[in-house]
Amino acid sequence: MADQWTDRLSDYLDDELEPAERARVTAHLEACGECAAVLQELRSVVARAQTLPSTPPRANLWPSIEARIARRSVFARIGDWASQRVSFTVPQLAAAALALMVLSGGLVWVSQYGGRTTSLPPVDAHGVLPAAFANPQYDEAIADLERTLDTGRSQLDPQTIRIIETNLASIDQAIEQSRRALAADPANAYLNSHLAEFQQRKLALLRRASALVGPRS
Amino acid sequence: MEAFALHADLDAVPAAEPLSIVARAARGDVRAFEELYRLHLARVHSLVRRMAGGRDTDELTQDVFVRVWQKLGSFRGESSFTTWLHRLAVNVVIERFRAETARRQRLHDGEEIFETLSGPNASRDLPMDFDAALEKLPDGAREIFVLHDVEGYKHHEIGSLLGISPGTSKAQLHRARMMLRQHLK
Repeated sequence: MADQWTDRLSDYLDDELEPAERARVTAHLEACGECAAVLQELRSVVARAQTLPSTPPRANLWPSIEARIARRSVFARIGDWASQRVSFTVPQLAAAALALMVLSGGLVWVSQYGGRTTSLPPVDAHGVLPAAFANPQYDEAIADLERTLDTGRSQLDPQTIRIIETNLASIDQAIEQSRRALAADPANAYLNSHLAEFQQRKLALLRRASALVGPRS
Repeated sequence: MEAFALHADLDAVPAAEPLSIVARAARGDVRAFEELYRLHLARVHSLVRRMAGGRDTDELTQDVFVRVWQKLGSFRGESSFTTWLHRLAVNVVIERFRAETARRQRLHDGEEIFETLSGPNASRDLPMDFDAALEKLPDGAREIFVLHDVEGYKHHEIGSLLGISPGTSKAQLHRARMMLRQHLK
């Protein structure tokens, strides 16, 4: 048995040799019992490899895997959210750049000059009245619409009148609550916006209701 | 990258899972994924153990299934799920050990161990089963033997995976077989 032959036995077994080379090895194997025995052993190795048993691990690996995929899922969702592409058109980018320039310029101006003109004493929060607390134009508009509605009341069916009155009562209640709260905390921005919102709702409701009764005759 | 064709022996393992389990797992159903895990665990664990020579087998197996979970959405059914899974497992093991030493160097390392194991006295005096002998092979020869004779990869596929020539793959395979023939009994 010589290496020059045995080295070719795996290729022979796997049919990787050129025909001429394969013929030479075949001829040698017919004459050399030792090489033929090695070839048989190599064939057995390959056969054994293809029938190796599969064995599971002794430890339970699933809890750790489950924990890792759960953790990765959370990070992946965060990553997906963070990596979502936000795209802008060129005009949008130009507008954003312009806005940034104006803002930057304004800040620079305020830092240069703004501080020098603020020599007034601090504002007394209790002295600030909510914008809508006393608004004659608003009150006048409401009064006018209420008169229109009263005049044309007979044109509306009872169910419509009931709905309008119920809604007006709710709005008035919210307005009243806001006013009482603002009396104690006049500078509260949330209460002021809350009051303004319900005043707007009342105005809108009265306008719609007035429209239902038509122009005064 | 070209597709890898595996031997028909994979068909016998494990019972083919309904595609619906794969689909449900791909949609994020953890219970379906657990079913897949249990169906394939023994095969994947054994593959990883043989490829890695018994090192960090449990940890690597966990890495494989976590990777499967991440990549499941990219499984298009172009090959069988088992083929896809085993290829992914092979890649996880290769990536793990690629950083340790240059692969070419490893293929030529361990000659001493190889000769010791393949010597006639070694096999007679220290009997060991086939799997144990496989784990004792030098890393490169063992990986090539597992990929070719156990998993059914071709030499050019192994060359692509390991960054070696098909000729080197053939030579290492032969040497691995020559050593392992001593441990057939």
